[in-house]
Amino acid sequence: MSFFSMDHVPVLIVIIPLCGAALCPLLSRFGPSLGKRAVIAALFIAFIMSLVQLAYVIQSGEAVHYWLGGWRPPYGIEFVIDGVNGIIIVLVSFIGFMTALFSSPFEEASETSPFRSAGYYSILCFLVIGLLGLSSTGDAFNLYVFMEIVALSGYGLIAIGEEKGPIAAFRYLLTGTIGACAYLMGVGLLYSATGTLNMADLTLRLREVDNLPVIAVAMACIIVGFGIKMALFPLHGWQPAAHSYAHPAADPMIAGVMIKIPAYAMFRFFFCIFDSSLPMMKTVFTIIGIMAVLGILYGSLKALRYDKYNKILAYSSIGQVGYIALGFAIGNFYGIAGAVLHILSHAFMKTGLFYTSAAFKYRYGIHYTDQLGQVYRKMPVTCAALVVLSLSMIGLPPFAGFFSKWYLALGAIRNGQYLYVAVLIISSLLSAVYFFRIFERLFMDEKTVTEPDKTATSAVPAAPEAKRAKPEVPLRMLIPIGIAALMVIALGLGNSFIVNGILKTTVMGVL
Amino acid sequence: MKNKKKIIGVVLIIVAVSGFFFKFPNIIPAVDDAKAPVHSYISGFYIENAISQTGAHNIVTAVLADYRGFDTLFETCVMLLAGITALMVLSSTAKVGKKQKVSKEIKNASFSGTIIDTAFRVIVPIIVIYAFYVFAHGESSLGGGFQAGALLAIAYMIDRIIPSFNNSLGTFTEQGAAMTAGVGVFIYIFTGILPMFNGGNFLEYGRLPFGAEKAAELHVIGITMIEIGVVVCVMATIINILEVVLERTEFDE
Repeated sequence: MSFFSMDHVPVLIVIIPLCGAALCPLLSRFGPSLGKRAVIAALFIAFIMSLVQLAYVIQSGEAVHYWLGGWRPPYGIEFVIDGVNGIIIVLVSFIGFMTALFSSPFEEASETSPFRSAGYYSILCFLVIGLLGLSSTGDAFNLYVFMEIVALSGYGLIAIGEEKGPIAAFRYLLTGTIGACAYLMGVGLLYSATGTLNMADLTLRLREVDNLPVIAVAMACIIVGFGIKMALFPLHGWQPAAHSYAHPAADPMIAGVMIKIPAYAMFRFFFCIFDSSLPMMKTVFTIIGIMAVLGILYGSLKALRYDKYNKILAYSSIGQVGYIALGFAIGNFYGIAGAVLHILSHAFMKTGLFYTSAAFKYRYGIHYTDQLGQVYRKMPVTCAALVVLSLSMIGLPPFAGFFSKWYLALGAIRNGQYLYVAVLIISSLLSAVYFFRIFERLFMDEKTVTEPDKTATSAVPAAPEAKRAKPEVPLRMLIPIGIAALMVIALGLGNSFIVNGILKTTVMGVL
Repeated sequence: MKNKKKIIGVVLIIVAVSGFFFKFPNIIPAVDDAKAPVHSYISGFYIENAISQTGAHNIVTAVLADYRGFDTLFETCVMLLAGITALMVLSSTAKVGKKQKVSKEIKNASFSGTIIDTAFRVIVPIIVIYAFYVFAHGESSLGGGFQAGALLAIAYMIDRIIPSFNNSLGTFTEQGAAMTAGVGVFIYIFTGILPMFNGGNFLEYGRLPFGAEKAAELHVIGITMIEIGVVVCVMATIINILEVVLERTEFDE
């Protein structure tokens, strides 16, 4: 066994960025941008390794297990990578790497000390590490530890954001702590009933547990825990403010990926760990379905009310997370495939839309949609990406958003749940309304944008004068925006490969 | 009015949850129920094998630092992350108001005096010695890296706050403290990576590239190494948060 063989890849994906994050403050002492470069390089290596790992998983057709500390699983912690989380790890590391690139013009423009910049990169890198670990782990308590890393770095990135950031972060801190406690209590109850924390082992031993109230309470706790973390409808209170006021460069990561990975963890619990033959399972899925339906309608209706670009996107996320939960509530192969596909496609759509939001803030300090008039003349690529991503959010055919909704509708029809199909259609129409309102502002409004106002209340100072002659925004920002839009098209065209080639074996295995 | 509603909501939740637990008292197994899975399955394995496999006489240490050492690595990262976040949020002058000035009289009135000066002069060295004792003893009894780091930080804190000590232990800048905490985490990671060059998995202490007669001895070395990392990280993080807070209040003029 050598260091760089396939054996160690699952853990190296987490450990290499961790080295970068831990040493980033120290490195910034030796060179102003050394810490930043270390983080970006570490995230890039993690991305390449995650691709290698996914290829290996697809090729071998079975899950990769990695025993941390060399201890046999029920006694130690293990990482388990199969088709579903293999592709999610690729997603997280890819968007993490792109966001780190995207952040650098912001850090340069804000003229902070090299150390503050290093601190920002360190927190961002910890967020990516937490999400990577959360998707890799096969141990219920280890998942909690990574959830804490994600939450803490999330609090930090929201608190250093725009003017109301600290308040939004504090609110998220309170609700997020309740969510983490609820999850921990659920895991504690499962541990008290089975005596094990390993997920595969839990699956086996829960079959023999006849104490149903324990499992019911554990399920309720876990739904509340993940529900808060993924901002599922009645538990979403922290989300709009947090997503609107977070650090503009880190916001794509927070809004795009941070709320999706708990949804993946929910899939692990409700389809892999809990016994699907339990009598209460049907009630559980109905409850999740009700939460999802209410969330989809509430998010879409609430998004209509706002003029603030970030607020519209944040409320639309509440609806979109509802789609993922809806897929779980449908519970057949198409439902789950649609949910996982929606985790992927919505991650790229929301990340891309928040990239465009950050680009508007960076270039013109635009926060509200009524300031967008004719911006497309000045920022053509950003606005083209905005149009592609919005159309995908609405769910028009060639883009990824259509196909995830298609699978969800297919699954709902198979189960005869026509209410869900109706909700899907209504919410698509509603999202068409709020996105076309943005388009209207963008293309129809007469008002042309004014050049940045020095006294604007933006947390991000305006771009220096010298940048005017250059592209609309620096290339390091333009490329991630473009890639997000391209990925939405690619995911749309390649959806059958993802569903049949990658997800099918794993999802069929747990149903 | 709004607060009243919230209080009613909280009370209702508490009543509902406690009512549930009264209705189903068997949810959590009794403490003396030796047959309960939680007391027999994995716990039984740990009780039987911890000493021979890990060489740690304290089973809690064996589980914390060895069987589940990966969790502890990220618990340590939580400390580092908390320190960096506190630094980033509190040192941003845009968000936090200007420094509060405290006059020298107030400071001297509250933090100095003959008793404090003489008593703490004796206590600080004892705290430092006790910290090393807790660190070394954690393997066989209560204690360990987290507590030792906190004790060292307390010694520094006393030294920093009492005016007549004139910072005789030296002062950390808050940035230096954050860097040190990062190094502490890196010591932990490095201990984990070393066995990977020797054919083991991450954090597999039994494969550390040192000479030893038994695998358990290597585990002891591994646990000690990660505990050093934890001590450095915890101490530096507490100092980091202290320095960041002190930075907000100017004591001298």
